[in-house]
Amino acid sequence: MRGSKAVVGVYSYLDDLLKGIADIRSADLDYKVYSPAYRHEIEEATLPGKSSVRRFTLTGGIIGCTFGWTLAILCSLDWPLRVSAKDIVSPPGFFVIGYECTILFGALATLGSLLLYCGLPNFLRKVGYDPRFSRDKFGLVVGCDGHNLEDVKGRLMKSGADEVNVTEGI
Amino acid sequence: MSKQSEKKEVSYAMVNDLVLRMLEPPGAGWWVLLLTCITLLSWGAVSFAYQLWAGYGMAGNAHPIGWGTYITNFVFWVGIAHSGTLISAVLYLFRAKFRMPIYRLAEAMTVFAVMTAGLFPLIHVGRPWMALWLMPYPNERALWPNFRSPLLWDVFAVSTYFTVSAVFFFVGLVPDIAAARDRAKTFFRKMLYGVASLGWTGNNTQWKHFIAAYLLFAGLATPLVVSVHSVVSWDFAMSIVPGWHATIFPPYFVAGAIFSGVAMVMTLIIPLRKVFKLEPLIREEHFDAMSKLILLTSSIVAYAYITEFYVAWYSNNMFERFQFWFRPFGEFAVAFWGMAFCNCIAPLALWYGPLRRNIAFLFVLSIIINIGMWLERFNIIFTSLAREYIPAAWGSYNFSWVEIGITFGAFGWFGMWMTLFIKFFPAVAITEIKEILPPPVRNKESLQGHH
Repeated sequence: MRGSKAVVGVYSYLDDLLKGIADIRSADLDYKVYSPAYRHEIEEATLPGKSSVRRFTLTGGIIGCTFGWTLAILCSLDWPLRVSAKDIVSPPGFFVIGYECTILFGALATLGSLLLYCGLPNFLRKVGYDPRFSRDKFGLVVGCDGHNLEDVKGRLMKSGADEVNVTEGI
Repeated sequence: MSKQSEKKEVSYAMVNDLVLRMLEPPGAGWWVLLLTCITLLSWGAVSFAYQLWAGYGMAGNAHPIGWGTYITNFVFWVGIAHSGTLISAVLYLFRAKFRMPIYRLAEAMTVFAVMTAGLFPLIHVGRPWMALWLMPYPNERALWPNFRSPLLWDVFAVSTYFTVSAVFFFVGLVPDIAAARDRAKTFFRKMLYGVASLGWTGNNTQWKHFIAAYLLFAGLATPLVVSVHSVVSWDFAMSIVPGWHATIFPPYFVAGAIFSGVAMVMTLIIPLRKVFKLEPLIREEHFDAMSKLILLTSSIVAYAYITEFYVAWYSNNMFERFQFWFRPFGEFAVAFWGMAFCNCIAPLALWYGPLRRNIAFLFVLSIIINIGMWLERFNIIFTSLAREYIPAAWGSYNFSWVEIGITFGAFGWFGMWMTLFIKFFPAVAITEIKEILPPPVRNKESLQGHH
């Protein structure tokens, strides 16, 4: 977030928050939104488009599938014990291993990408965060410098913020 | 007050207050429950220690029933684990809103039930410190596990299931742990939730990727619901033992697993709802929906039982025919008829609408179903092994106090984790309930363009 100060607007109502977001976006200011639950309205107003997490999931799944099949085939070839007249490399039997590894690696890749994109873990930097944002309030945090501080405060108040606070440092 | 108006009164703040109130310092009842679970667990631990010291002969497993109580317990607990993923993942994909208040507890049940199930193969093998031989790792013996064996498939399936379920469970918990963090008062709780929430703030970037990842986790976990118990069923169906060698086993096991799991969710959630006064969140309509799921899966299970008998008759295979005569009329007939009553007859009461909303009745029925599902696994395993092909190799089973102790100990182990969980972490999903509530708006018409 750009700027030396953070102006924090605390909202009780979602429609007021959406008005505030639209106003801040129109002024081309840097901002961040906190909400107590996922709301698609906020996503559409701030970050439309699809998350890139799915690409990691697909990549993980492909790697897992390859790993599972390769593991089963190479281990069987390394210790070629014939069982019940089955082939040493028995694709039907190895399908389960490939299938499970596909899911396992896909899930782990999804987890890794989620942490990456969400910036987690992050125990220190919570610009403008207020504990009420995990309860019932919405937060609109706008980064600004000293010269446009009053303008930003005015925009947030006008959009319907319950209160507007300023924090030093971002 | 009408139910509609009750729904309207639930606000974002109220959801936090209701759920996080469960995390307040426990009363005497919670301590009694925890101590009961630890006592049962201790009984199991002492029994297991004795088995290790005196030898595997202390368990009842002996020829011809080499897979006895431990494998019965394993299949039972894996089955219990199933409905958690069904409720959390499959019903999420179907956008079934009735899952919201119950899915967290179902997910916790899944993770702890798999942890319980995973103990039994280790106990069953007799020398659990050698269980690592099941894993494919380079070793001085120059051996690799047999990848064509369903037992190895099971190792991969159950360990994958545990990992994915645990990840799915934890990811869903993170925003709710953050809500608990913001309300925590003691140093211990602040530290616990502060670390466990990973610094989650619920900003727009986090929510965007969280929702995408959650959907993908649900998509990945859904095939596991089908695959894991199918693989467990192949432990039996891939053999040539009469009563096991049947292609109906995978769907039959999956339906049975969901059946028993939903019943266990009810067993857990009914007292929880009463003790923590969660009636505004977990309403009768949720029990009605779960009851319909039980009714559906009970019908599938009953159909599978009948099909097994039909196929045994139609196959004209004398060994199969004998096996399915032995089950209802042989030495273990009590278990068969108990299973039939608990799983097929008793759930029929749910066709009567008012009973689907009668909480006391549902609690009793859920326990009956769980007893029935344990008996189902007993029937499959014990009766088939007791009467294989050669009459000279037929035999019976003597239960020992060791395996009975370990069986009860498993309930203690499972109960201990559940008891600790409900006191330290939000047992009802806060953020997902908020998602289905109407958002707080000043002007309702202003959001109409979004729907």
